[in-house]
Amino acid sequence: MKNVLLIDSPLANIANIRRALEAGGASVELSSDPAGVAGAERLVLPGVGRFDAAMSWLAGSGLDAAIRSAVEAGTALLGICVGHQLLFDSSEEGDVRGLGLLRGRVRRFRGSLPVPQIGWNRVAMTGGSPLFEGVEDGTPFYFVHSYAAEAEPEDTVGTSEYEGTYVSAVGRGRVYGVQFHPEKSSAAGLKVLRNFVEAA
Amino acid sequence: MSAIDAAMRPVVREKFAFIPAIDLLEGKVVRLERGEFASARSYGTPDEVVAGWDVPLGTRIHVVDLEASRQGRPVERTAIEQLVERGYRVQIGGGIRTPDDARAWLRSGAERLVLGTLAAENPEAFRRILEIAGPARIIAAVDLLDGAVRISGWEKPSTRRVEEVFADLEIMGVQTALVTDIRKDGVLKGPSFDLYRELADRTSLRIIASGGAATLGDVSSLARMDSLAGVVVGKALHERRFTFQEAVARVRTARAIPERIIPCLDIRGGRVVKGVKFEGLRDAGDPVECAKRYELEGADEIAVLDISATTEERASSLDVIRRIGESIFIPLTAGGGVRNVEDFRAMLRAGADRVAINTAAVLDSAILTECAEQFGIQSVVLACDARREIGGYKVVARAGQSGTDLDAAAWCAEAERRGAGEILLTSIDRDGTQEGYDLDLLREVTARVRIGVIASGGAGRLEHFREAIETGGAKAVLAASLFHDRIMSVGEVKKYLAAQGLPVRAGAENE
Repeated sequence: MKNVLLIDSPLANIANIRRALEAGGASVELSSDPAGVAGAERLVLPGVGRFDAAMSWLAGSGLDAAIRSAVEAGTALLGICVGHQLLFDSSEEGDVRGLGLLRGRVRRFRGSLPVPQIGWNRVAMTGGSPLFEGVEDGTPFYFVHSYAAEAEPEDTVGTSEYEGTYVSAVGRGRVYGVQFHPEKSSAAGLKVLRNFVEAA
Repeated sequence: MSAIDAAMRPVVREKFAFIPAIDLLEGKVVRLERGEFASARSYGTPDEVVAGWDVPLGTRIHVVDLEASRQGRPVERTAIEQLVERGYRVQIGGGIRTPDDARAWLRSGAERLVLGTLAAENPEAFRRILEIAGPARIIAAVDLLDGAVRISGWEKPSTRRVEEVFADLEIMGVQTALVTDIRKDGVLKGPSFDLYRELADRTSLRIIASGGAATLGDVSSLARMDSLAGVVVGKALHERRFTFQEAVARVRTARAIPERIIPCLDIRGGRVVKGVKFEGLRDAGDPVECAKRYELEGADEIAVLDISATTEERASSLDVIRRIGESIFIPLTAGGGVRNVEDFRAMLRAGADRVAINTAAVLDSAILTECAEQFGIQSVVLACDARREIGGYKVVARAGQSGTDLDAAAWCAEAERRGAGEILLTSIDRDGTQEGYDLDLLREVTARVRIGVIASGGAGRLEHFREAIETGGAKAVLAASLFHDRIMSVGEVKKYLAAQGLPVRAGAENE
């Protein structure tokens, strides 16, 4: 059984992600205890709402340092939606620093399309990430977001088109992030979660 | 840049070009209704108009020299030279009859020449202009009225059939044709999608569509058509129905974002039910079984509406929302009986991703703002039930029982301002009739809002789904009895839409 520790944030819809991970064969433990996070094999960091609120909650509960040291010790990490944005240095959504596990800044969509983007959008897969093993290039995933990360090209494993091209998935070592909601993206989303659990 | 330099630049071939269009008369930009000079209305100088539209330099602009088409010689050369000097690329049409006319326009810096009358009236002159300018710089204009070719300022009918005209153009080496459906031009009723689809089978020419693009949905729909190389748009920009930048953004995402198919579960007493025009309900199955089957077939989202909650003055059945939410991995939109922010919150907690508000918003639209602020704009769906009445479409509240004086499109625009993230628009007249979605209603609403509109009420045949998206401008299409009664599956709808060139997400059973 593959163990996953799902960070139990009050600012995220945990139940659906848990159910989706379990559908992929993972054994899921919920925790917001820094000690538990430090020893986890795999971490999933969810998040909805504002970047600064989510980050402040992590910092306030000591989880930010616990996540960083777990990653340094080799724990695999998957950030989902705002959890994906938290992996980066900073965001336009508030002045709070992010986890800084990946270089880059999170920026708001600018242009003339409705914000937030609500709905399915195709992901062009670059760099052959294990996250997208067995998922067809261009497969749509379900997104709800007003901000997107500007990641380094070498960390980018998926891009999508909204106001120009934006980064929709990243991977560096054992740190992964997806801007979309795999738990709402039907079979393709479940496959991505299963890939994370099995490959990472 | 000099005019000659501009003329000698290589012609860039785009995938699909959104081409702003202006008609010139006496140095001013004007619009004619159905090609009649008497109806001319002035909008200012070309510079003022193009700058007002926020069109970036380097954009190709379609210019018609109206007086030239009557006089048969170039008239507006100064205006064209000014546009070219500014850095715009110009395709010019109107009255180009002789090689000298063509040379004059090329010297003025025009990138492409739009030739209408000439190919039929003087093929020899047409061929010589093709030689002088090169085929990449020639656009053959073909005006159609009810499927017949019209020429010369739309005043003379031609005796030749559309197929003959296209075949001749191809033989002469023409690569691009500008096709105007005169009936649709300038009246903002939407483009002739069927015509453009047919033309793709009848000719190998690259077609630029002209006439009738009135909404951003029209722009998206045209940008997806394989036969089309671009669209020429004038009136909708003049009337500020959308901006140039908005249109270009839609062109870029036209194929990236799949249109959603949403099976709808109307719930009463814990069971899926379905009626006609909101009446005569009958049992259509277990909600969880239905939802799971639909996800497997490729549904992009499930809607669950507790249709008797409001009339029974109670909150939505949370148990059904919870049970469905726990059995699917696609978004769930729940509605019915939302009276206040607490009801809304309870439905989100039960597992809904988004909650539809209908009657409560009609009573006090502040609920939309409160919910958007507390839970995010993406979770707020305005459900608008509309009925055609004398004087237009009116909003009906309380599950079709309470008529109001609210104009449906105006109400939806108001809801967008108040914080709705999407609109679920149901035609009561079409509900359960399988006669097709109410396209007029959809166009009225999609012309007024920027957020997505979900079409609901009337699906009966495959083409109804295409019409709702293509002509109606819907971003999602909802249906109930068709799927419940297994008249067709979600997968069949998606296969059909994909074959028609509309972007859809493949379902699990297709993978």
